[in-house]
Order: sequence, then structure tokens, then C-alpha cells
Amino acid sequence: MLSVKGLKATVEGKEILRGLDLEVGHGEIHAIMGPNGSGKSTFAHVLSGREGYEVTGGSALFEGEELLDLEPEERARKGLFLAFQYPVELPGVNNTYFLKSALNAIRTSRGEPELDAVSFMRLMREKLKVLHLDDSLLKRPVNFGFSGGEKKRNEIFQMALLEPKLAILDETDSGLDIDALRIVADGVNALRSPERSMIVVTHYQRLLDYIEPDYVHVLAKGRIIRSGGKELALELEEKGYGWIAGEEAA
Amino acid sequence: MSGPASNLGALERWLEGGAERLPGSGLDWLEAERSQALARVRAEGVPSARQEGWRYTGLKTLVEQPFVRYAEPVTGVEEEDLEEVLVPGLDAHRVVLVNGRFVAGLSSLGALPAGVRAGSLREILESDPDAVADRLTKVAGDGAHVFSALNTAGMDDGFVLLVGRGALVERPIELIHLSVGMDEPRVAQPRHLVALEEGAQASLIERYVSLGESLYCTNSVLELSLGRAAVLRHQRIQLESVNAFHITGVYLSQGADSRYLGVNIGLGAAWARTDLVVRFAGPHAECDLKGLYLAGDKQVMDHHLDIDHGVPQCSSRETFKGVLYGKGRAVFDGRIHVAVDAQKTDAQLSNKNLLLSRNAEIDTKPQLEIHADDVKCSHGTTVGQIDPQMLFYLRSRGISAPLARRMLCLGFAGEIIEALGPEPLREYVTEVVGRRLETAPLE
Ligand SMILES: Nc1ncnc2c1ncn2[C@@H]1O[C@H](COP(=O)(O)OP(=O)(O)OP(=O)(O)O)[C@@H](O)[C@H]1O
Ligand SMILES: [Mg+2]
Repeated sequence: MLSVKGLKATVEGKEILRGLDLEVGHGEIHAIMGPNGSGKSTFAHVLSGREGYEVTGGSALFEGEELLDLEPEERARKGLFLAFQYPVELPGVNNTYFLKSALNAIRTSRGEPELDAVSFMRLMREKLKVLHLDDSLLKRPVNFGFSGGEKKRNEIFQMALLEPKLAILDETDSGLDIDALRIVADGVNALRSPERSMIVVTHYQRLLDYIEPDYVHVLAKGRIIRSGGKELALELEEKGYGWIAGEEAA
Repeated sequence: MSGPASNLGALERWLEGGAERLPGSGLDWLEAERSQALARVRAEGVPSARQEGWRYTGLKTLVEQPFVRYAEPVTGVEEEDLEEVLVPGLDAHRVVLVNGRFVAGLSSLGALPAGVRAGSLREILESDPDAVADRLTKVAGDGAHVFSALNTAGMDDGFVLLVGRGALVERPIELIHLSVGMDEPRVAQPRHLVALEEGAQASLIERYVSLGESLYCTNSVLELSLGRAAVLRHQRIQLESVNAFHITGVYLSQGADSRYLGVNIGLGAAWARTDLVVRFAGPHAECDLKGLYLAGDKQVMDHHLDIDHGVPQCSSRETFKGVLYGKGRAVFDGRIHVAVDAQKTDAQLSNKNLLLSRNAEIDTKPQLEIHADDVKCSHGTTVGQIDPQMLFYLRSRGISAPLARRMLCLGFAGEIIEALGPEPLREYVTEVVGRRLETAPLE
């Protein structure tokens, strides 16, 4: 589904990604862990097309097509979704209108008809329930005044609505209380399918207890320096990143 | 004809060309007002671009145009032509002026409640001038500038609404000023008069629209007077032709305990100058003035507010927002004056602007002149751009960049648009503004 080779990117002249390789197959869940500032969010942003990053090398094929040449909205329409580490507030932009515009843009690009108002509301209610979110969020501006946890749940709610092929969850667990973590994890697990892949960025083993990954990668200084099965996460929790960095150096 | 200032002739021509005499000729009081106004026009001439308040405007291009008065009422506009400019689904008492002249055939005032009089200024001046004699020109006085004086000298027709004591007009009254292109540049000088007596209530929707994109000038004056505890909702939507000049002076006098809720939407014209002048005549009056303006290539939106708190215990809110794109320009000049004995005044002025291109320009100048000591006054202005993070968030959800921009700008303008009503009017403005923003050039 996703094949990243030798990806290099700079921000304001500073090299952040330094030759990153990652292969994600259909239906797989990959966890990416790594120290603060190692480039995890940068990687997520570069994949989804955020401005301000200069790609200086490598490629990222999504279903065989080069992602890096596409506009952010085109990537989303092809089935890429990013759950932001820090979702932005959009004052004055009504949540329902936003969700409807997003869903219809994606449906139209897939050649599906736009949803009528009734079916749309029904779909939203159903997905809200999965994430234990209150209806009233729909009437408010997007993320505006939402609590940290509500913002994160709203991200997964959007993912549930938009049904992407590949979702990147950037620290969706941070800032969630224990109950919210379980709700979000249940929401994510409900979306698991042989056709849908996910990249889960996290600092904590705890999330991976709920969302079991097929692979765990360690990102440090802009490269994947270690990959393994889910047991790697446990080892990291125990020994810290210094352990691998030490091995690398050796 | 010659006078002290250059280009004097350019403005005086605005009074020429008409075959018909101006209405109310022969009325002493009106003749006196007209000649006094004409004297002012002659004395002042065209404002200099160096003069405060005219610095950034398209004055030169305006006076270069050989505008003359309409020779006679423009006929031939049919109901079907009007369709194009109607607000779908808006239920209102409708008054239509074409190129400055009332057209009975296109108007549908319907049944008005007892104590309410509405119609053409020209007709009233001809048939029953006493009905307006003690009001016309009384609120505007000398006017904010020479163009208002010019309107007084040349007023040809307009809309009059008189709402008697305690009368309540529930259905909105929609005034449509339609301009139709002519072979040569013409100027219309409509004069509107709205007076609400004690305890009266009404809702006025004033719209300036055009068929086609022709060059013309509208120089309108609206005098509003609110008696004790009267309530007026006044919504102004300026959507003139992209090549037109639009000059308007709105003069408001508020009696004790009265409430004025105004929304000004400025979208059209190559150059639009709007002066909003508010005077408080009694305590505990409230004035809520909102505005939204858009300006793109070859457009100048020029707003001047002059709010005079001359008596104690009144409150005013001035909330204006602008979205500028392409090479659009705007001027916002907001002056609030609080007199020495206007204690307990509560006045808050805000002007926020969103610039979508590097070539757009805004000059914003709030001025608070406070001479009383026990008051609550504030002002604030901002000039910003669309937050790229917000734009990216929307695009990352599959929303195209133009639609995302539209959503963010409408979000920015939401506070003003939401004040519009009823629903069909709000939807109409949202649609017009939204479409404009979605296709706005960013350079
Ligand atoms: N716009 C920017 N300008 C300058 N430096 C930036 C910018 N964006 C990111 N960086 C830098 O790039 C590096 C990688 O940041 P990134 O956000 O990708 O880290 P991360 O792995 O997601 O960290 P965390 O675990 O704290 O979320 C950091 O050193 C950060 O300061
Ligand atoms: Mg991060």
C-alpha cells in the first residue's frame, strides 16, 4: 500500500528526515516510536503534503502512485488520512458543514454520489456513538473550545466517517484519559480491515496493548533504525531508546 | 461657472442634464435647503486627495467621469429583469427604484399597518410636502461631506418611510435600488427618509444592485430618525456594478431608549464610499453597527464612521470586518466622540481584516476622542492572513483549497453574516460572499 524509500526532507534548511524507508502492506498496522524531535510528525506531515517542508530526496508510493507530487486534498481523496498530533481549531467553521464538505469531496472523487442530508445525519450519529461523542459537537465550530481529549476523539470520528485506506495516527493517545483511550482504541479497531492500513505514532506501549501492531519501528534522527514485531515495543519500554542508539553506535 | 476649487464644474454637472424639474420646486423651505447646499458645493468643490478622509480614495477617477443627471426616468425595466436581482424566498414589502426613481409598477408595498406611510419622496413632495417638511435634511444637516450636500441640492426621488407612534411593521421593508446601464455616464441621487416615532418598530433592507456591469454613479443619502424607544433593524447590501461608483451617507439620530441594529455589507462597485454618522439625542439608546466588506482587483471600499456620544448613558458597538484579495483596497476610518457630559457611555469599536494576497491593502484608523471620565470605551483593529495550518487541516480532509479558503473566510465573517435576517437574506449573502471568495485571485 505504502512504499517509502530513502525519504529526505528539510525544514528551514535543517534536515529532519534523512533517508527514511518504510513498507506498509494492506491491512497492516505499523507502530512508529522514537524520541521527541526525531521526525515522526514531520514524516506524517510530509506524507500528507503540508507546506513548509522541502523534500530533498526519495519517494513515497501510495498504491503505486507517487504521493509527493500530489496536493494535500488529492492525497486525502486517494485515501490518506492524518489524525493530527495537535488538531487545529477553526473558529467560525461549523463542524457539520466541514464534515459534509469533506465527505462529499471524497465521495465525489471516488465517483460516488453526494449523500443527502438525511443519510448524512444518520451516518454521523452512528459514528458519533462509536466514539461516545455528544451530538452537540456537530453544531460547534471545528475543534473550537474542544477539550484535548475531545479533539483527539474528533480526529478518529473524522477517520471513521471518511473511511481512508491508510490512516496515520500521530500520538492520538497523548492527552487521553484511560477511558477515552479505550474508546479511541475501540474506534480504531472497529475500522481495522484487510483493506485498511494504519501507521500509529506513539510514545507508549499502553496504546499498543489496545491496538495491536503487526510491526514496530524505531525512528531516530530522521531514519528508521530498528524494526521488529510487537515485542520490540515492550523492550523499548523497558530499556529506553538509548539502548538502540547505543547498539547503533557500536 | 467657476469657483475657488478645481474641478468645480465636474460636481455641478451632476445637477444638470435633467429635462424635468426637481421635485418640490416652489417649496420655500426646500428651495432654501437646496440653495444652501449648492452654495456649499460651490464653496468646497471636489475634496482634495490631500484632505484627511479622502487620502486613499478614487476621487480622481470619479471626477474625471462626465456624470450628468438622468434626463428622465428610465423605463422598460420589467418584472423579469428584476428576478435576476431578487433574494430568493424573501418575503417583504418591496419598493423598487430604478436609477434613482421610484417605479410603482415594480414595487409591491402591499398592506401596511395603520400609522405607516411608505412611498416615493417625489410623490410626497408634490402631493403632501408637509408630511416630510420638518424631517427632510434635519438629520443629515450639512452632511459629512460635499457629496451629501450635492445630494441635497439634486435629490430627485427616493424612499420615504414614516412609522407613527407605537406602530409595528413586522414584515421587512425591502428597498431595491436598481441601476441599469445608459449610453453615457449618469448619476442618480436618491434621498431616503425613514422616521420612526415613539415606540415604533420596523425592519428595513436596503439593497443596491445593477443589471450588467456598466459605469454609473449612485450618490445616496439616507436620513434615519428614531423616536423614544423606537427599534429599527437596518440591513444594507451594496452590490453595485463592478464599474460603478457608490457614495452613500447614512445619518442616524437616536432618541432616548431607542435601538438601532445595523448591518452593512459592501461587495460591489469600483469605489464605494460609505459614511455612517450617528447622533444620540437622548439617554439609554443603543446602537449596534456591524459591517462586512470585500474588495478585490480594481476595488476600493471606503468606510467612515462618525459616532457622536453627545448625551450620557448610551451604548454603541461598531464591529467591522473586511476580506481583501487580489489588488483590493479598503479604508476604515472609525471615529467615536464622547462629549464631556456623556458619562456612562459604553462604546466599543473593532475592525478586523483578512488579507488573502500580498497586493491587497487596508488602512484602518480607529479614533476615540473621549472627553468624559466615567466611560467604558475600547477599540481594536487587526490585519491578518489565513492561517496556513487551518488551510492545511481542511485540505488534508479532501477539501479543495478554494473551498477551504471560502470556509475559513466565511468563518471569519460569520459574526457579521449571522446578524443578517431573515434566513433567505442571510443565505443569499452567504452565497454571494462565498462564491466571491472561492474564486478570489490570490495575487
Ligand atoms: N516548522 C519548523 N521549523 C523549524 N524546525 C522544525 C519545524 N517543524 C519541525 N521542526 C523540527 O524538526 C524536528 C522534528 O520534529 P517532529 O515534530 O517531526 O518531531 P516528533 O518526532 O514528532 O517529536 P514529538 O515526539 O515531540 O512529537 C524537531 O527538532 C523540530 O524542532
Ligand atoms: Mg510529533
